[in-house]
Amino acid sequence: MLARDRKSQGVGPRTVSSSVRPATDATRVPDDASLLKMLYYMKLTRALETRIERKLYRQGKIVGGVYVGRGQEAISVGAAMHMRRGGGEDHDDIVSPSHRDMAVFLMQGVPPEKILAQYMGRKTGLTRGRDGNMHMGDLRHRLIAFVSHLGDSIPVAAGCALTFRMHGTDQVSFCFFGEGATSRGDWHEGLNFAAVLQLPVVFICNNNQYAYSTHVSRQMKVERVSDRARGYGMPGESKDGNDVLVVYDAIGRAVERARHGEGPTLLEFLTFRMTGHSAHDDAGYVPKVLFAEWERKDPIRRCEDDLKGRRLLDAGAVQAMESRIEGELDEAVAWAEAQPYPSPEECLTGVYHEQA
Amino acid sequence: MALTTYVEAIKQGIWEEMERDERVFILGEDVGVYGGAFKVTEGMLDRFGEMRVIDTPISESAIVGAAIGAALMGMRPIAEMQFIDFISCAFDQITNFAAKNRYRWGAGVPMVIRGPSGGGVHGGPYHSQNPEMYFVHTPGLKVVAPATAYDAKGLIKAAIRDEDPVIYLEHKYLYRRIKEEIPKEDYIVPIGQAAVRREGRDLTILTYGAMLYQALEAAETLAREQGIQTEVVDLRSLLPLDKDAILKAAKKTGKVLVVHEDTRTGGIAGEIAAIINEEVFEYLDGPVLRVTAPDTPVPYSPPLEDFFLPNKEKILKAARQLAAY
Amino acid sequence: MRVDVIMPQMGESIAEGTLTRWLKKSGDKVARDEPIFEISTDKVDAEIPSPAAGTLAEIKVQEGQTVPINTVVAQIETEAGAVAAAGKTAPPARAEATPAPAPARQAAATSTSPGDGKERSARPAPAPPSPVYAAPPAGAWNVPKAAALIGTGATVEDLRRVRSSPVVRKIAQEHNIDISRIPGTGVSGRVTKNDILKTIERGGLERGATATAPGASRAPAPVFAPGERVTVVPMSAMRRKIAEHMVMSRRTSAHVTTVFEVDMSRVMKLRAEHQQAFPERHGVKLTPTPFMVKAAVEALKAFPDLNAAIDGDTIVFKKDINIGIAVALDWGLIVPVVKHADDLSLSGIAKTVTDLAERARSKRLTPDEVQGGTFTITNPGSFGSLFGTPIINQPQVAILGVGAIQKRVVVVDDAIAIRPMVYLALSFDQRLIDGAVADQFVAHIQATLQEGKFTEIV
Repeated sequence: MLARDRKSQGVGPRTVSSSVRPATDATRVPDDASLLKMLYYMKLTRALETRIERKLYRQGKIVGGVYVGRGQEAISVGAAMHMRRGGGEDHDDIVSPSHRDMAVFLMQGVPPEKILAQYMGRKTGLTRGRDGNMHMGDLRHRLIAFVSHLGDSIPVAAGCALTFRMHGTDQVSFCFFGEGATSRGDWHEGLNFAAVLQLPVVFICNNNQYAYSTHVSRQMKVERVSDRARGYGMPGESKDGNDVLVVYDAIGRAVERARHGEGPTLLEFLTFRMTGHSAHDDAGYVPKVLFAEWERKDPIRRCEDDLKGRRLLDAGAVQAMESRIEGELDEAVAWAEAQPYPSPEECLTGVYHEQA
Repeated sequence: MALTTYVEAIKQGIWEEMERDERVFILGEDVGVYGGAFKVTEGMLDRFGEMRVIDTPISESAIVGAAIGAALMGMRPIAEMQFIDFISCAFDQITNFAAKNRYRWGAGVPMVIRGPSGGGVHGGPYHSQNPEMYFVHTPGLKVVAPATAYDAKGLIKAAIRDEDPVIYLEHKYLYRRIKEEIPKEDYIVPIGQAAVRREGRDLTILTYGAMLYQALEAAETLAREQGIQTEVVDLRSLLPLDKDAILKAAKKTGKVLVVHEDTRTGGIAGEIAAIINEEVFEYLDGPVLRVTAPDTPVPYSPPLEDFFLPNKEKILKAARQLAAY
Repeated sequence: MRVDVIMPQMGESIAEGTLTRWLKKSGDKVARDEPIFEISTDKVDAEIPSPAAGTLAEIKVQEGQTVPINTVVAQIETEAGAVAAAGKTAPPARAEATPAPAPARQAAATSTSPGDGKERSARPAPAPPSPVYAAPPAGAWNVPKAAALIGTGATVEDLRRVRSSPVVRKIAQEHNIDISRIPGTGVSGRVTKNDILKTIERGGLERGATATAPGASRAPAPVFAPGERVTVVPMSAMRRKIAEHMVMSRRTSAHVTTVFEVDMSRVMKLRAEHQQAFPERHGVKLTPTPFMVKAAVEALKAFPDLNAAIDGDTIVFKKDINIGIAVALDWGLIVPVVKHADDLSLSGIAKTVTDLAERARSKRLTPDEVQGGTFTITNPGSFGSLFGTPIINQPQVAILGVGAIQKRVVVVDDAIAIRPMVYLALSFDQRLIDGAVADQFVAHIQATLQEGKFTEIV
């Protein structure tokens, strides 16, 4: 079944450039439709997470934890623009999102109502009630479910990329994490492994400066997460994570490297978590001034202004987009709330493969 | 027919599965150029190439994590732990990612994690461990521990073809000490089935791995010297346990001795005793007894390790006590 | 050809025996060595195996009859080849022993057993039954409180014997069998699965098979005819003999009883220390019994007057020290003898006592094993008695009664201490033994026990 082109030279050591590309401003700008799409998904993401965090959670309709990526939407949107999909197993990329990358789910084709059902613990959620919130995945959407043990996805994403190399395809493995996860051993093992085997992985760090209450300065001694790339012999860059065009551009170049067999890239996107760690955290440990400062850098407003500047839309169009989103979400919430819970005895099923 | 060693049987099983199924590949430390610390993968690099016989950095967590990723992408990885002791480095990947994937979001992780376990070779605390129970306690995993060359081959093939993650424990003491004729034809030993190695009516010994041979020798002595007929059951799989076989053997004799090389507290013997107690209490004609290693790390020096390991004499003592009960 | 089946002489002093039950009917096929009837004598109750294979041709002695030894009780018609084939024939189902018909009450007083050990001057006097205070089913001294389980007050040994194991209990319930009536071959006389299955194979226990609670009297309750205030039943052979010989001993000896108190701390400590290893090594539980026997043996060595008998005007000193141990049975009492106890180690004594007690209960004692005693130990303490005044087992001159071992408050070095204490009551024949000698003898036992001088234990 795997009669594939074996053009690859194998997984042995290769000569890898250790040069680190300098940070650059966005040099490639997507077409107009793509620009509008990015704005739409950033807005949908924020609206969906706001519903979840500010409405449903407070109504008691979501019983577990809620972790949102408010203020960080540009990173997952800009990255997801490069994810290849709809072409089958030997064509589509694979994604390992972390817990503040909601846009990836939406852009990979998971409808909002399924996400809401997941949050509500319903039978029709992505995990059928077995796991909650962002702990969801679906291989049909090329999404690998993340686990709470941050950093565990790194070697897994490398393993997906290993498969692509073995098959000799130009598929790419996208791997998301926060700056906190970079302190974990699995993160280091995974990056080293991917670098040594020259695997097509794009490592995407969502540096929102706080891991729960811990500031990034207590997470690492190097100035930038991307500084660590040199330690693994892979290129590393740090970029403005609140500029979706910059994200789009940087990811695009890393993806290109990966597709061309040049191995992994570590990209760090600087951003800010505009909430607490979770819906139950008021983030009192974060200086208020920082919220104000980063509010001015809000990625959605910047994108909107940019698109207005390009005359791709006006205030009316923005309003239309927003009401369309609200309408979609109204329907999605109604659908999710009508979904059944799993039956209690379903607890016992699905631990192992079951014959159909 | 030539005799096949236990280690050769494992190698044959992997080799044949790699020939049979392109999705099967092996990754681990020193598995390629060197052919594995115990030569299980010797010759495979030449035959299958570096795409399918992959030398990795010393990163057990990355080895297992990468195997998980590959399995999710449709492959059938075999991750080698150079010594099974090092599996602890990958504990998180195994127990939180591999084991729970299917249950959480329906994505099966068909993969094998295998490596040399067990003592008796003066390997000391870090080259002699029996880590099975960490994983037997993790729903979503399967754990097997073959004792014969036939089973070593049949179980590695079954493990590779299984749709779920399987921990395959090779007893290094048996690698080159056990040899037997095994069929040329393709066969598997189904996971979750125990095997009766000796029939008896007076007493049942349940065991697995290298302890099987100690138990069989003890059974022989009991029969010769006292006419005590001992049933010896080789569990082969620890998760899932062959409950039917355990209960059948317990009912048959009413007296059960569980023997394992693993340490005592939290060993599988306790679980087996509980199962027997819950399900066939009325058939018992004596307490379920255990012969196990004591609750210590595996010591290095020969007198210490000899004291640590269960053996025929320790089994005899317990068996006699139980037979006389 | 016809082979005679006779009333055996179950003991050299035995003159007669009662045939209590036929296990075969006239015309039944019998295999060689297959039990065909049961007898009750002064010494033992026993199953008697067929001397040959063939057909039980004629029964000459009916159940309940008492006949002299060597009386032909039946004849077996043998067939050509029957002897050789006998081993292959499965024994037909038959009933297991039942208790003697008379109620076997606990003896209220001690008893004696004349006639034993008369090696040099055997008299054809009617042989008396064995004594004494009943021993518990486990046949050993117990420390009930220390080993109490599940609030029953029963020891582990008791529970092993009576509760046996889950499978045995289940089988017993299904077949309505009283586990306590089956001879056990497991630890502490525990009835194993094999034991009960064999019993069922042989046809089970016929009567009195309903389970009894541990410790309850196993004697059948007297049946009163309507309107009657009393009911009269004949004494069993054993009961008759006991009655005769208790009185005979009282009449014969000048009984005096002396009582000592002994601190058992060291013994109990030794026992606790070896409680685990001892059974593993020797296959029997370590009880206080062997300590008592050992201490008595040492004292008998020091005071040979106590290891003697009176024969008319002569004193018969005994070289061998053979200790009789009183064992209670459902159907009476018996005193098997630990022969050459002075040659036995503590573990040897423990094994012998356990073995004798178990076989006494399963009617498998040989006649030789209930005679030749030179001194007797009885254990009223097993039922909680502090001490009794035992009656001498004739023709011996002393008997030691051991009371219950209990923790008591005692004064040690002018301080109040809690110690496991026991009363030792020695009844002696003052015709031969002076009070001073008797007291020194018991003091010797006391010292041995208190000092815990038992060098060889395991």
